[in-house]
Amino acid sequence: MAKLTFTINGTRRTLDAAAGARLIDVLRDGLGLTGTKPGCREGTCGSCTVLVDGRAMRSCITPAASVAGKRVTTIEGLATAGKLHPLQQAFLDYEAYQCGYCTPGMIVGAAGLIARNASPGEQAVRQALDGHICRCGSQPRIVQAVRAAAEVMRRG
Amino acid sequence: MADLTLLVEYKRREFLKVLASGASLTIPVELQGAETRVHVRRAADGRIDAFTGKIDMGQGLRTLLSQCVANELGVPVEEVRLVMGDTDLTPDDGGTWASLTTPETVPAMRKDAAAVRGAPLREPKEWTALGRSQRNLNGPDIVTGAFKYNSDVKVDGMWHGVVLRPAEYRAKLVSAEGQGVVRQGDFAGICAPTLAEARALAAKAKAEWAYEPLPAFDKMIAAFKAEGKPPVENNQVRYPPLIRRGDAEKALATASQRRSLAFTLAPIAHAALEPRSAISSFGEDGRLTIRCGKQAPFVVRAEVAKAMGMKETDVRIIVDMPGGGFGCKQRSDVEVEAARLAKASGKTVRVEWSRADEFVWSYARPAALIETETGVAASGRIVSWRQRNYNAGAPGLRPPYDFADHSNEFWATRAPLRQGSYRALAATGNNFARESTVDEWASTLNRDPLEYRLAHIADQRLRAALEMAAQRFGYKGRKVGVGLACNLEKEGRMALFVECAMEPFRILRMTCVADFGAALNPSNLQNQVQGALIMGIGGALWERLEFDSTKQLTTRLTNYRVPRFTDVPAMDVHIVDRREITAAGAGEAGITLTAPALAAAIFSLTGKRPMSMPMRVQTP
Ligand code: FES
Ligand code: FES
Repeated sequence: MAKLTFTINGTRRTLDAAAGARLIDVLRDGLGLTGTKPGCREGTCGSCTVLVDGRAMRSCITPAASVAGKRVTTIEGLATAGKLHPLQQAFLDYEAYQCGYCTPGMIVGAAGLIARNASPGEQAVRQALDGHICRCGSQPRIVQAVRAAAEVMRRG
Repeated sequence: MADLTLLVEYKRREFLKVLASGASLTIPVELQGAETRVHVRRAADGRIDAFTGKIDMGQGLRTLLSQCVANELGVPVEEVRLVMGDTDLTPDDGGTWASLTTPETVPAMRKDAAAVRGAPLREPKEWTALGRSQRNLNGPDIVTGAFKYNSDVKVDGMWHGVVLRPAEYRAKLVSAEGQGVVRQGDFAGICAPTLAEARALAAKAKAEWAYEPLPAFDKMIAAFKAEGKPPVENNQVRYPPLIRRGDAEKALATASQRRSLAFTLAPIAHAALEPRSAISSFGEDGRLTIRCGKQAPFVVRAEVAKAMGMKETDVRIIVDMPGGGFGCKQRSDVEVEAARLAKASGKTVRVEWSRADEFVWSYARPAALIETETGVAASGRIVSWRQRNYNAGAPGLRPPYDFADHSNEFWATRAPLRQGSYRALAATGNNFARESTVDEWASTLNRDPLEYRLAHIADQRLRAALEMAAQRFGYKGRKVGVGLACNLEKEGRMALFVECAMEPFRILRMTCVADFGAALNPSNLQNQVQGALIMGIGGALWERLEFDSTKQLTTRLTNYRVPRFTDVPAMDVHIVDRREITAAGAGEAGITLTAPALAAAIFSLTGKRPMSMPMRVQTP
């Protein structure tokens, strides 16, 4: 066990992390942030995506120790002051999910994209989210939702 | 007491907190455990309680069944408190499978709700909640990450179990030794207060297995044919294994031209995104409570009871919505594992499957050989038709076409692989073989494949779906790279047109028209059909479980290609709403259209007809 300090959804926390622990397990088991989902645990499905200093990362293959001193944002940290993030609202509006298991990772991944590219075109969204699996086949609606949210965010 | 923790925690809904606190309800909770259970009742607080043994796995059932109740009682959908999939509280509505909820549970819920109101069922023109796009009630919790799947559930004092697995696919446990090893039949596992400790113990344990070899794919297919048993006619079952009219053999003998085609299907995985898990706990009264994410709580209860040597009524199954099912979460497996460890340890034990466990220790969509033997008259009309499906199953055997003499047969075999249910099961393979055969005749006879299909279809709704889809797609006769398929599956009528291109092979667009009768929740229906079509791309083009002579080689999602964003074409999925016609279930049918439509497009591009799923696209 080693002490690990990082900022999680805006709050600085220090906790114990086992040597070699992955970020996903620290989030889910250590902090109870179960919105971050395990799907493959090998970096290929995207359901565990979180933002580390604003960049989308697969928490299942991210060593917990590597986020020391950094800012980690999970799906639970996207809404502000009780108001849904525009991406969350757009996913609701387009019903861009079925079982919803991929959704938190998808939304966080899309937030990472919009941080880099404020007006992503259809192809940019598809490319950026290609590392995310939606086994239920909600991709067309997800693309629509992400583009609609980007538009809302551009307009401020 | 661990068991109580399980119960108190188990659902987020306000109603269940009331229930766990023991507050009084109009009908005591225990009564729901008795023989006759209600679907709907008015609660003491004036709100509506509804109960169903069905579960939601993303197909939108919580929303749809809430709509049913709200519709008959004239209350807002949000007013309905729906308990799903709890064997102590809900009626046994059968497993959530085979697109049966819409034809069976929807009318049952509506009837019971209407009875509470003391009025007849509302006519479509009086519908308030049904027949309009109702947002998924789980949505707000899904987008915030608050929604709890079984894998997110933790209870106090919970231990963690690890199951010892053989490397080989077909193995019997010979011996298992080590600190803490629990052994029962072929099961050997270990549990400990933390997962890390359980894993450390499991790593030190020694298990020996005796295994049987596996046949190569071609040998397996050959054995299906050699060992298949002819079907016995039985029209009383849900999926009759023999559907026939006239004398197909005689008609084949007199046909003007004949053709024999053989199609094969590789075994494929469901790959639902959430790996399964279960939490088991014995109460002080000896009752066993299990929270899990399965599609058929009462089936799981029966199987767990049998495995544990208990009475079914001493077992309670509580379902948390699974993160995807598609047929892979019907039977008990992880539940029994957790129950065995809970029994041995006296603790509440959680077992979770890894992705590799999901691939190997669940079951596959069956591999198959499907042969068609068909003949046309001098006019070019198909007049004799025999379709023989070895091993995949009987669903989807009935042709939507008007063939004068036909025999559609499911030949059961003994498969060396674990196989089981899957979205639409054999209907996908059957439609692939059937549509490819019809398409082949159209091409041989130099007929337009749409016109040729229509010439054999009497069903007006299916004709209308094909014609409407052709129009939306802009189908103007045969064009290179265009393919189509249709089906009349479980009372749903569907038509799909696709356009593909080569170098590299890609799907450019899909246009689908689907008619399931009344569209009870049109937006959700569109989402389901679109999702099923997309899921079908994987099985059509890439998905295949690989084996060597002793073990399954496919154990990782990295090595198993499922459709991703850049694979999904531009899609136009249109739902026809026929308000006056009883709604058919729509969760499955879409998947049966993708492969044959893609096969037709690939044939048009390459001149080579794909004869297997997954298909190989060969550059001409
Ligand atoms: S669980 Fe991390 S990418 Fe799949
Ligand atoms: S909604 Fe089920 S995996 Fe995406």
